[in-house]
Amino acid sequence: MRTRGKVHILMLVLAVCWGLFACAGDEEDTGGSAQAIDPLTAEWEDILAQAEGSTVTFYMYGGWAHVNDWIDTYVAGELKTRYNITLERVPMDAAVFVNKLLTEKAAGQEQGSIDMMWINGENFRNAMEAELLFGPYAEKLPNFQAYVDPDSVAYDFGFPTNGYESPYGKAQFVFEYDSDRVENPPRSYEELLAWVEENPGRFTYPQPPDFTGSAFIRQAFYAVSGGHEPYMTGFDQALFDQGAGELWDYLQAMRPHLWQEGSSYPKDSAALDTLFARGEVDLNMSYHPIHAQSKIIEGTYPETVRTLVMAEGSIYNIHYTAIAANAPNPAGAMVVADFLLSPEAQLSKLDPANWGDFPVLDPAKLPEDIREAFAALDLGQATLPVDDLVPVAVPEVPSDYVEALEKGWDENVLQ
Amino acid sequence: MRTLIKLSPLLIPFCVLFLGGMVLAVAQSLGFFAPLEAEGGLFAAYSRLLEPPFLRSFGFSLYVALVSALVSVGLGSVLAYGVWKLPASLQKTATLYKVPLILPHIAVAFMILVFWTKSGVFASLAFHVGLIDSAGEFPSVLYSGNGLGMILAYVYKETPFVILLALAMLKRLDPRLIQTAVMFGASRPRIFISVVLPHLKPVLHTTFIILFLYSFGAFDIPFLLGESSPAMVSIEAYNLYFQRDLSNRPAAMAMLVVMFLFAALFIGIYARVVSRMEMRERKL
Repeated sequence: MRTRGKVHILMLVLAVCWGLFACAGDEEDTGGSAQAIDPLTAEWEDILAQAEGSTVTFYMYGGWAHVNDWIDTYVAGELKTRYNITLERVPMDAAVFVNKLLTEKAAGQEQGSIDMMWINGENFRNAMEAELLFGPYAEKLPNFQAYVDPDSVAYDFGFPTNGYESPYGKAQFVFEYDSDRVENPPRSYEELLAWVEENPGRFTYPQPPDFTGSAFIRQAFYAVSGGHEPYMTGFDQALFDQGAGELWDYLQAMRPHLWQEGSSYPKDSAALDTLFARGEVDLNMSYHPIHAQSKIIEGTYPETVRTLVMAEGSIYNIHYTAIAANAPNPAGAMVVADFLLSPEAQLSKLDPANWGDFPVLDPAKLPEDIREAFAALDLGQATLPVDDLVPVAVPEVPSDYVEALEKGWDENVLQ
Repeated sequence: MRTLIKLSPLLIPFCVLFLGGMVLAVAQSLGFFAPLEAEGGLFAAYSRLLEPPFLRSFGFSLYVALVSALVSVGLGSVLAYGVWKLPASLQKTATLYKVPLILPHIAVAFMILVFWTKSGVFASLAFHVGLIDSAGEFPSVLYSGNGLGMILAYVYKETPFVILLALAMLKRLDPRLIQTAVMFGASRPRIFISVVLPHLKPVLHTTFIILFLYSFGAFDIPFLLGESSPAMVSIEAYNLYFQRDLSNRPAAMAMLVVMFLFAALFIGIYARVVSRMEMRERKL
């Protein structure tokens, strides 16, 4: 009898496990109402109706507290009142959620856990090559049709977007310094090397492939090899070897004078921000021109922090939102993507007290009053005026170069 | 067979989760089920591991693991003996040593970070006391390329673990052995080496293996306190897996497989060496 009792217990355990698995399967079905429409062909009204009352999960980099706040309060609140959509923000690095999608695809999961994600560059290319994205949907969004210049968002790091992602914001690379501590900051890559040699231990950059660190070496790549133009047409090994050789020389010359003599690099831009805020280094960098002002408002940086751009050029890029091919709620995700493109959301996003991320809308297409509202927004004394940023703006390099530079940096500078 | 059936509630999840993961890792390291078509033959990913960068980071991981395990075991056994000798009235207070045991590794890493960076607590203390003229003069304990930050964190976290196990073992040590040694005029270090250590030996061997392999493969402390180059193997695998493009997946998996094989091999060799040493001692 005792053995039979044990068999019963075993069966019970198995049954419970089975039940749990089954429930887990059910829970994934969060996507709105039951009647199925194809959001790629449906009318916008039908998409809105489908999205009403649903939940959208938004996977995004979670390392910026002020951005998280903006999403959780302004965006989530507006979506609730306007469309009755519940937004769930999930903090995760882009490479990690692309990986999650890959795993879901390998497991044959038709309804995944991700609706929407914040993505660009190599992660977008990876996701496209593995066919993980939903679309083309961008041109269906009313705000895209009304306010976006399609040519300006046709490429993402040289990779055609083809409507598989919709623009979200624009960023440009700036350096940050405390005008109280540093009177004459370097204003070109040439001066930077000399400055680092004179001020040993007071400069470093995040370790590529960190997003910001990788952008720093790309900019140096342009600066030491004669500008961005030759690289725009696609990957050319001979061209790369020539330019990269000069870049490694430049960075190796800098290395012994870096923070910790270059034996260690901050692992991401947040780590470098901390070093800068605590005064261990004198120069910081950010891919967001208003980042310094946000940090001042937050109280992390002193009021005397200012930003500058390097004379040789400063990289800008557009970042995007995309929808997963196995999204449980693609209609809801499209409504959210559209809302993020609305002039109100873009204006709120530009405010340094919220996030301070540049809009992707075409000013020529905006109504007069909205254009004035954009112009009237005070971006703070730490932020460079657009007139300073635009003349030095240079585009991102095609993403094959990004990978080659990051790998080359490992082999030639780090080791 | 019946035991197997009885164990099945434990075995089934073990097989599915652990062995399934292992099989998948091995398969991906050989280029199967990889997100992108693998190039260059079955062992292409493994041949990448023979290049100097990986060998360096493998060697560095061995060094960090060895130093932190040795120091923890040494320090832990001495402290355990010290606690054991305390009068009964102080024994209760001595349980304070267990505090680091309940702290998560990541919390310990943060503590090291807060105390030891150039802008940390010790640096500003030294500055206020007047030992150094500016915070920048504080010696770089962390991120200076010798793994000191990680070793500090591991020693802090692991020493109490050694104390805990060694103390349990010492409870079974007959105090009269030590009294006899004292009567014969043995010095304190002599007593420790000749009486206490032999008694503790089995438990110290086990803890050494556990601590060594843990620090060799763990991720959280190196993630916060590790240097960029050479990086610990776990960080290398993480970077390759998450931060690089998809063609690097097989190499990342190969790293994990090598780590696993190394751990298995290490336990085997260590056990054999120890048993041989003990055989020799018995012959003497």
